[in-house]
Amino acid sequence: MTTSVVEPWAERPLVKYVEQAGARLVVVMTPAGQVLAQHGFTRAVDLMAAAALGAAIMASSGALAQQIGERPFGSLFHAGMRHGIHLAACSTPRGPLIVLTVFGKETSIGLVELFFEEFAAALQQAAPVTTVREPVLAGDFEADLNRSLTSLFRR
Amino acid sequence: MSLVNFTTREITCKIVYYGPGRSGKTTNLQHVYSRVPADRKGLMVSLATQTDRTLFFDFLPLDLGTISGFTTKFQLYTVPGQVYYNATRKLVLQGADGVVFVADSQLRQLDENLASLQNLHANILDSGVDIRTLPLVLQFNKQDLPRELILTPEELDEALNFRGLPAFPADALHGVGVFETLKAIAAEVLRKLSAADSGAHRV
Repeated sequence: MTTSVVEPWAERPLVKYVEQAGARLVVVMTPAGQVLAQHGFTRAVDLMAAAALGAAIMASSGALAQQIGERPFGSLFHAGMRHGIHLAACSTPRGPLIVLTVFGKETSIGLVELFFEEFAAALQQAAPVTTVREPVLAGDFEADLNRSLTSLFRR
Repeated sequence: MSLVNFTTREITCKIVYYGPGRSGKTTNLQHVYSRVPADRKGLMVSLATQTDRTLFFDFLPLDLGTISGFTTKFQLYTVPGQVYYNATRKLVLQGADGVVFVADSQLRQLDENLASLQNLHANILDSGVDIRTLPLVLQFNKQDLPRELILTPEELDEALNFRGLPAFPADALHGVGVFETLKAIAAEVLRKLSAADSGAHRV
């Protein structure tokens, strides 16, 4: 199974969490649905859809909590026939994060919740406090963009 | 905010298609989905009502390929246009790197366009973002309808485009203007990443 990270500091806590909790798929994302780290997905585009949906569930349940005068729900759990999903938020110096965990019969929600707490603490400890903002792309990126979009649309 | 990974040289950006109900936001994404090869896109996710009105959002992940040495991925979202879904529009707007405002060119929809544009400004302000710094392009959709029913691009520009933003006439149902609009917002968003104070999250 593959583990990949956009932000390297998240890798070690993620690998440990996957092993301990026996998770099949894990996505660590921002509340906007941007993926920071993942385990188990093979196609980036599938991963992005899972992250978008996970972030949307947390956002909508948070908004619902607000409407009924409740604090945002820390975690959500759904059990299926073959898989369960656990969605939970944690705060880090990097900002709030959401973790989507998909697990099978080889583990249980109890174990996932137990090890998620350790995972959240490890993320909090590992996350960088500051971020650096600086130019990323070369000034002449538009030629590449035109070529990419032309090939994408086969025009 | 765009995510940039300097280790694997990847960029991920979030684009939101905004506009009044039935202006053609979902149609834009459906056209993009229909034209892009399978290995460059993910499944299009639509959270819609039984009558195919957008309830929460549509989502389409795209792999743009390599730009300036970075593997570049775009996440395209739509918002529900109907007035009473403002709470969900706010949620979808979170973290957007760029917005496409899809206006309905029909004369009788002008007030709805204006209300939706004001709603966009209010929601962006609420999220603590300065609208002047957020890449935004306009699309005047449904230009294929009979002349007597619609406003011309020039008239719509006059009514909606007081900031002189890039604007494109379109017939999203048949794909006209969809590519140009996407290209323009992609360029605006990536231009921000090539400028100082790019707003990208570097790791």
